[in-house]
Amino acid sequence: MSQPPFLAVTAVFAVMLGVSGLRALGHRRFDSALVHLGCACVMAGWLVGRVAERAGSPEHPVTGAMAMIDGDESDKLWEGAYLTNFVGRVPFSVRLEHFFVERYERNDSDVDAGREAPVREYRSRITVTEPGRSPYVVNVRVNHPVRIRDYSIYQMSWGQSTDLSGRPVTYTVLQFIRDPGLSVVYAGFVVLFAGLLLFAVRVFRVREEKTP
Amino acid sequence: MMIKLTLQGGLIYLTLAFFLAAAVALWTRKQTVGRGFWFAGFLAALASVAWRGVNTGHPPMQNLFEFFLCMAAVLWPLSQETRWRNGIDTDLQDACLGLLILFPAGFVFSEEVRRLPPALQSPIFIPHVASYVAGYVMLARAALQALPLLRASTDAVRARQADAASRQTAVIGFLLLTLGLLLGSLWGKVCWGHYWQWDPKEMWSLATWFVYGGYFHYRLKNGLRNPKALGMLLWLGLLFVVLTLTWINLSRMFSGMHTYA
Repeated sequence: MSQPPFLAVTAVFAVMLGVSGLRALGHRRFDSALVHLGCACVMAGWLVGRVAERAGSPEHPVTGAMAMIDGDESDKLWEGAYLTNFVGRVPFSVRLEHFFVERYERNDSDVDAGREAPVREYRSRITVTEPGRSPYVVNVRVNHPVRIRDYSIYQMSWGQSTDLSGRPVTYTVLQFIRDPGLSVVYAGFVVLFAGLLLFAVRVFRVREEKTP
Repeated sequence: MMIKLTLQGGLIYLTLAFFLAAAVALWTRKQTVGRGFWFAGFLAALASVAWRGVNTGHPPMQNLFEFFLCMAAVLWPLSQETRWRNGIDTDLQDACLGLLILFPAGFVFSEEVRRLPPALQSPIFIPHVASYVAGYVMLARAALQALPLLRASTDAVRARQADAASRQTAVIGFLLLTLGLLLGSLWGKVCWGHYWQWDPKEMWSLATWFVYGGYFHYRLKNGLRNPKALGMLLWLGLLFVVLTLTWINLSRMFSGMHTYA
């Protein structure tokens, strides 16, 4: 979906929405103006993100992941189903202190009775080394990404495998994403929703007569 | 499918019985009896929400089961509001909707508080789903209120009433639908790293949003010149809602981001 023709079509739609937003502004129809400009904003922000993705380079990658076992340290991002394609290096390095898989308590009363309890939390405790700063420890959890420089780090996946000597190991997969268009998208969300609120108020102002 | 043999379950089944009695009475044009049952159903629904709060010791808005209980309890006030604001009677429609909403609470959802997997542990979970459920209820009400627009025999006054009522209900539904979409997108970014993934359910929701967007554009451009088209757009929107909801079940067969839903 980030092929140039598709991006071009999206850009045309975004411009059309922007134009109708500005025309509505000219007619002092503020609800319509905000809704259309908000939509244009969301699409423009999405485009910025996709263009940045295409412009990503090994020196300044946009998105990639690293699979790590306890003790690994890296600044290299990879992609592909088995994370075999090198993408680039992030401007800091990450060392996995420990990957935690915590489960709920076993119990005998609910749907999980007699089975292993469901997972409560996946957590990668990492030490981050940024140039010009002393190393610090952060936890990356599902639903709690960590932001370092322009990158958000996500707890993406995990699994079990064996190392070279055949011992079982648990690995974690951390995903790194940089999206320069994100704030534009979020701004669009706010503008769009504000416009819809104004529109709703307008719809409710129109009173129709009741039957006697 | 399960029967709840608890006080909570009893209150839900009592509500369902009142709603059913109200629907039958109103359908057979016994207005007074029907309205009585409809109000009794509201009291029973209120009691089941209150009991849930007392029994669990937290406000009953923390999982889907509780949210469906609450939705059943707001239908009566909504039908009163529509009568007061638009002068039309939606008791029968709302009683039927009440049956539809309470059915999952009574027979499908578990009363137990589920232990959530990490992906669902988010403060956005309930607002995201609640916006959609409440939005879908309002959009279903809008489609039902638009029924007179589809009949050729409807006179101008009735058509204006039905149009005003359905449009006002639809705009609330549309706001909630938008909120659900935006919150979902925000949550997607926090949880999966992307605010838009071309997931089938995302695309169905967006398509639904476009249909209602089309309805509001059509209404603004053409007014009430073609009431039938307005009614049909609202029903088309509801069809998309049904398709999106069906996806929850279909997603067990096809993989997608929303498979745990």
